[in-house]
Order: sequence, then C-alpha cells, then structure tokens
Amino acid sequence: MHLIEVKDVVKQYGSGRTLVEALHKTNFTLDKGEFNAIIGPSGSGKTTLLTILGLLQTPSSGEIYVGGKDVTKLSAKKKTDLRFNKFGFILQASNLIPFLTVKEQFKLVDKFTPSHRETMNQADLLKMLDLTDVATNYPSNLSGGERQRAAIARALYNNPDVILADEPTASLDSERANQVVSLLAKIAHEYHRGVIMITHDTRLLTLTDRVFVMRDGTLTEQKEE
Amino acid sequence: MFLAIKEILHNKTRYFLVVFTVFLISYMVFFLTSLAVGLARGNRTAVDQWNAESVVVSSYSNKSLTVSNIPESSYKDYESKDVVPVGQMTVVTKLKGSDKKINTNIFGVNWNSFISPKLTAGRMPKNGKEVIADSKLGNDNIKLNSEIKINGSKDLYKVVGLTEDNSFFTVPIIFTNMNTFRTLKYGSDQAKNISALVIRDKTKIKKSGLSQITIPDLINHIPGYTAQIMVFAFMIGAMIVITFLIIGVFMYIITIQKISLYGVMRAQGIRTARIVAALFYQIMILTALGAGLALVAIAATQLGLPKTVPFYSNWPAYGLLTLAIMVMALLGGTLSMRKVLKIDPLSAIEGG
Ligand SMILES: Nc1ncnc2c1ncn2[C@@H]1O[C@H](COP(=O)(O)OP(=O)(O)OP(=O)(O)O)[C@@H](O)[C@H]1O
Ligand SMILES: [Mg+2]
Repeated sequence: MHLIEVKDVVKQYGSGRTLVEALHKTNFTLDKGEFNAIIGPSGSGKTTLLTILGLLQTPSSGEIYVGGKDVTKLSAKKKTDLRFNKFGFILQASNLIPFLTVKEQFKLVDKFTPSHRETMNQADLLKMLDLTDVATNYPSNLSGGERQRAAIARALYNNPDVILADEPTASLDSERANQVVSLLAKIAHEYHRGVIMITHDTRLLTLTDRVFVMRDGTLTEQKEE
Repeated sequence: MFLAIKEILHNKTRYFLVVFTVFLISYMVFFLTSLAVGLARGNRTAVDQWNAESVVVSSYSNKSLTVSNIPESSYKDYESKDVVPVGQMTVVTKLKGSDKKINTNIFGVNWNSFISPKLTAGRMPKNGKEVIADSKLGNDNIKLNSEIKINGSKDLYKVVGLTEDNSFFTVPIIFTNMNTFRTLKYGSDQAKNISALVIRDKTKIKKSGLSQITIPDLINHIPGYTAQIMVFAFMIGAMIVITFLIIGVFMYIITIQKISLYGVMRAQGIRTARIVAALFYQIMILTALGAGLALVAIAATQLGLPKTVPFYSNWPAYGLLTLAIMVMALLGGTLSMRKVLKIDPLSAIEGG
C-alpha cells in the first residue's frame, strides 16, 4: 500500500476556448520513507500537482488515494482535517501566520491537536533549523531564510506522514539549502515519512530516492543512467 | 480565543480604531439614555412617589392632571384613607427680595394623607403659610427657611421642610395644604374643588363627569411626555442599529485584508469553524472593551455634569443596552462570516 497514490489525474483550468490542461494524465506514488523530488521548468505544472496531492484543489478527473483510501470525493471539512493531521506544507509563499511568533506557530498547532498525538520536540526542532535565537520573533522580523526555515519547522512540528515542499530552498544560501535537504532526507529515512520536494536546483538531488521531471504537464520518472 | 487575542495585540492600531468607534457609539447611547431617563423622571417622580394604583380626574380633562378640576359634590362621597384629594397648579415663584421668576408646581395635599411628601430636612408645616419644597429648588436658592411669593401673592410663604425627587412635568414641586392651594388657584378656600383623587387600593369609582385612569395612563398623558420618550427611543434605537453596520463594515474590511492569511490557515488544516470562532471572539472582545470604556466615561460624566441637566444613570438599562450593542456587533460579524466560509485553501499559494 502506497502512502499516496495518484491515478490518472488530469487538471484543466478554464473552459471552452480558454481551456488549458496544466496536468496531463499523471500517475505517481509516494511510499513511507521515500524522499522524492520533482524538477522541471517554470509553469510546467509542478505546483499544480503538489496542490492536488495535498488536497488543496480537486483534480478534473482521476483519483487520489491516501493510505489506500480514496480521498478524491471527501467533503471539504474532512479534507481540512486530513491536511491538518497528515500533511505538512512548505509553500513557495510563506505559510506562517503574521501575528504569531515562531514559538506561537507551534502553540497554535498544539491547541488544535488531539492530546494523544505526539508533536516533535520544539527545542530540538528549533535547534536543528537554527531558529533558537529568533523563536520569539514575528515573521516580519525574520530574514527570508529564517522565514523559510520557520515554515519548515511548522510543517514538521505535528509529525505529518507526508511533507509537501514547494521549493523549500529558494531563498537559502547553498550551505543552508544543503542542510534543509539533508533534514528532509532524514525525516524521510529515519522517521519513515514521505517527502516530496519541488526544486529547480539539480545539485540538491544527491539525497533523493526518486526524481521526477515535469515538462508541459507531463510527469516522467528520471531513471539513473 | 488564542488566535483572536494574538491578532488584536499584533495589530493594536487597527483594532483600537474599532474599540474607539464602539466606545463613541456606546457612550452616545448611554448618554442619550441617561437624558431620556432623567427627563422622564422629571416628568413623573412626584407621581411615582405616590405609589398609587389609579387616579380619578374630570372627564373633560382628557386624562391631564393639569387641566382636571373636580367640584366638591362629585368627590366628597369617596374620600377615605386610600382615596385622597390632590390639587395641582402650575405657578411662578419668587424668592423674597429677588426678581427671578422660578417655574414651580403647587401640589395641595392633606398633610396626614398617604401622598404627603417625605421630609428629608426640616419639619411638617403647622399652618397655611408654611410649605414644603423640593430640594431641587435649592439650585434657585430656595432653601430651608426661605420666604417665597407665589404667583405675585402679597403673602409670604415659608419653606419649613424639604423633600426629594418630587417633580412633575419636569418642574419641581412646592407642597401646600389643600386650603392654601385653593386660595392660590380659586382665590378663596371656600371653593372646595380639587384636581384629582389619588387611589392606592383597588377602589373603583364610576360617576358621570369623572374618569378613573391608571397611573401609567396618567403619566403617558403628561403633555409632551410620550413624544419625548419616543424621540429618545428612536435615537437610541438608530444608534444601536448603526453599531451593526459600523462593526459589520469594519470587520468585513479587516476580513478582506486577511483572505490570503486565512488561505494559509486553511491549507495548514485549520478548520473554518475555528476561524469563524476567532472572528466572533474578536468582535466580542472589541465591543466589550469599547462599551466598558463607555461605562467608565458615563460614570465620570455623571460626576462632572451640572445638577440642572436632567441626567439619570440607570445601570440595569446600560447593561441591557451593552447587550444589545454586542448582539448587533455580532450580527455585523455575519457579514464577514460568509466571506470566511468561502475561503479557498488554494489562495495560500496564489497569495505569493
Ligand atoms: N488557477 C489557475 N488558473 C489557470 N491557470 C493556472 C492556474 N494555476 C496554474 N495555472 C497554469 O498552469 C500551469 C502550471 O502552473 P504551476 O503553478 O503548476 O507551474 P510550476 O511548475 O509550479 O511553475 P514554477 O516553477 O514557476 O512555480 C501554468 O501555465 C499556469 O499558468
Ligand atoms: Mg510552482
């Protein structure tokens, strides 16, 4: 059983003469402990696929299975709960709440998490992402890189089964970028989560298990030569 | 609550404006209410002090005590411990040695009847030249032992007792005995007419030329009373409805500005119900703050206001009005709620 399975998913935007097929028929799987990357030119449909995987939008056709269960037709409320419980998003745009400090972003998760669920150790997480000194800052008082790391911390905090990262290293220097990628690899390999990372930077692919290439809405797996 | 408070604290200026607006509206509502209550009381405190059930006035008076006039033959059979005569007359009083004309009411009563005023200072009169005055006349220097002229009388009347909260038609009262009242009104104490009979039990009186009316009926027929109350009621009502609109629009604008933030929350899997709850918590906190400040301000106003302004604090009424304002503000929140319910988690991505 796959952690996530995408079957024959198509995504079209608009209708009639303005119809664009951003995603042609796509099949894709993610397993526990797997760290997969999606690369490809801008506008090719990477974010579209990721948002469909993360149940942020529904596909025009095809099905998505999470843990073997078809979730394509779930109610908006069920999808919301599924996102909270199973997914961690690291988005292209900052996904921090502007009026909460880094620590309070965690606190918000605590408030809405059932008590039996384990969250990650805050201090460890902050240390791992080098955020300890800025833990009481508001997002507006963080550098671009710090903000990105805080978003990663937030995504990891409630132990999601799946981490969906849309260019998580975009605003980081190469040393930090490498650190973040090794962290994501560690999450996948040591904590047995599924991680999908969209990136432009092919230098970051050394730690990934599988690499997919998106070109004009068509996804193909890149086989090692 | 956590989200609501955190956000308010982080955007203090923005939310302070909301609090300030609520404060202004609530203050206006409380102020108008105090004036309305003050004015209403000024019209009727004397009648309220009777603690009576009904009055009998002459039929042609159209339920107005000021016009009513009952001859002795019509009322003498009914007088008892619980059915007592009152004489009312609107007069101009002057303090001895002063030219200032002061509008007052004369209430002629039998000193031993249940509508005899309660003394707060001095003693009961011993003869027809001694009277009891409402303490509000102190604003015009009519005090204990003052000597006054009534309607240009040659005779001087001496204030030997003071009473409180005794005004009618917003004019303070001077109490005299029935004979003095008759001398002032009819020129002689041989005319045994009275203005009305005041009844404190269930006695029913039916006689041609007389009508028995309840106390509320009497009060509502004080000339201008109902009109005044209506004017105030409409102003207060309008202000409360305006609260709904102002809070509604304010919160709507703030909500619109937060759409992409809400998108982020939705993408993170925070339920819409929690976002809506935060919105209403915010409205509750902001209006409670605004109305609370207004209550403090109204208490301060009461201390600073001159005695002549008919301002009367009615705290239970303030409580009800605060509740009404909160309800209206929460209703205003429903304007934004529709927007929040429609938020697409995808807007988290489009936002950047
Ligand atoms: N809501 C939408 N309505 C219409 N077209 C859209 C919408 N969202 C995306 N598209 C189109 O779908 C295509 C794929 O967009 P997508 O955001 O998935 O690209 P991407 O691969 O993530 O690009 P980048 O690397 O720049 O982030 C683009 O041509 C885009 O214009
Ligand atoms: Mg993209």
